[in-house]
Amino acid sequence: MNLSLPEELTGKTGLRTEEMILNVGPQHPSTHGVFRLVAKIDGETIKEAIPVMGYLHRGTEKLAENLTYTQIIPYTDRLDYLASMTNNYVFCHAVETMMGLEIPDRAEYLRVIVMELQRIASHFVWWGTYLLDIGAIGPFLYAFRDRETIIELFAELSGARLTYNYMRIGGVKWDAPPGWIDKVSEFVQYMKKELDNYHRLVSGNEIFVNRLTGVGTYSREMALDYSLSGVMLRCTGEKWDLRKDEPYSIYDRFDFDVPTSTDGDCMARYHLRLEEIVQSLRIVEQAVAQFPKDGEIMGKVPRVIRPPAGETFVRIEAPRGELGVYIASQGKDKPWRMKLRRPSFVNLQILPDLLRGENISNMIAILGSIDIVVGEVDA
Amino acid sequence: MLGFAKGLGFTLKKLTEKSVTHKYPDVPYPFPPRFRGIQHFSPEKCIVCNQCARICPTECIQLTGKSHPDPEKKGKIIDTYDINFEICILCDLCTEVCPTEAIVMTNNFELSTYSRDELFKNLKWLDDNNTNVREEN
Repeated sequence: MNLSLPEELTGKTGLRTEEMILNVGPQHPSTHGVFRLVAKIDGETIKEAIPVMGYLHRGTEKLAENLTYTQIIPYTDRLDYLASMTNNYVFCHAVETMMGLEIPDRAEYLRVIVMELQRIASHFVWWGTYLLDIGAIGPFLYAFRDRETIIELFAELSGARLTYNYMRIGGVKWDAPPGWIDKVSEFVQYMKKELDNYHRLVSGNEIFVNRLTGVGTYSREMALDYSLSGVMLRCTGEKWDLRKDEPYSIYDRFDFDVPTSTDGDCMARYHLRLEEIVQSLRIVEQAVAQFPKDGEIMGKVPRVIRPPAGETFVRIEAPRGELGVYIASQGKDKPWRMKLRRPSFVNLQILPDLLRGENISNMIAILGSIDIVVGEVDA
Repeated sequence: MLGFAKGLGFTLKKLTEKSVTHKYPDVPYPFPPRFRGIQHFSPEKCIVCNQCARICPTECIQLTGKSHPDPEKKGKIIDTYDINFEICILCDLCTEVCPTEAIVMTNNFELSTYSRDELFKNLKWLDDNNTNVREEN
């Protein structure tokens, strides 16, 4: 009796498989929040993957229409909760652009220092959790140890560890406490050396390199079609960084490079994020050296903030990519409409394309390399 | 397998280093002076200007005033002052707008309770919460 099945049922392996639906999340440790991925799998191959989002939707854009401009700032903290400082900045920057405000130098330097430290902290979380996702537990502890130093610096400066509410329209809330700038430069010197240990611990590991090389590859055209930004775009060779190409704040005063790679795979994204930490350390180092001895931290701002009627769109380079804010004002103390261009949300759009035809074991490796924060995806 | 061995070597080297964790809650965790814990409210300083209630992004502050008991004096004094701590996000805006520093932050952060009702803080509770008051506001 011949028991062998026809090849269209068994595929190459000789084993009969059938399609099934697998729900990953919404409560799955590797989705870093409440994100659900519905995967149609055939054996171990993903046929189709549908991201389902909205579990963390709080309606920030709609809420903002009933809040004054100052009241919106604490809400921006909670979008990308790993990079609150950049969110604070982009919103204040939008309102300041509308009102044409002058920001004092000292405030600008404080803003750049905290934003770059925030980028480093955010990439540490990515580094630790990404390696946790793909099976290495140790690096997470090292990443969070060093991130703790940054968080403590922020707590000393703003009084909070995550939701800082530090920036205000026209400047910043707090001046640097005595000795804070020295602590920052101490951290920069420490981190410059410590980063080599990160590479020693992980980057050279053969298991790790083989696990990620060539996984989740896409082309430059595809990245541009999906309007990816940040590391997701630069890993395909497109050199685009708003800090260089459209300098905002005082980024034109610093000397730094924009690291790119042409591989477009998870390994390239890993190396680019670590390289971005180096560049951010360079910026912080220069900012600390140029930090003005004294000066105001708040510009001349009217008591009630009422941007003139009209609309504006500003964008900055957040740790995850291009973060944009659109504000339409009717001259009142509340925005008529606020719209956020969230990089996590836009970068996530490529996921179904990347997962189609992949082995299921690569699913988490690819999802992790996109570096999403669900608070920002859902807003 | 050189890279793998290097990583292992690094881990081994770290074994002898001092631990970086804190022994909280056995040892209290010190927060920096600007830390934002639950508010302290001094009724004698309050001028019932309503600014804190108006700036609050989550509308968690409710207050009422009454006219001054001394008919010679103008203005109002505070009658009730409640913070719904269930929805307070400790954003620091109320202490920022207060012209008389009647509402200030403290360093008290151990706020878990058995009941949601206990999170409704009234004037007396906020007045009695006068330890570790933040100096800069």
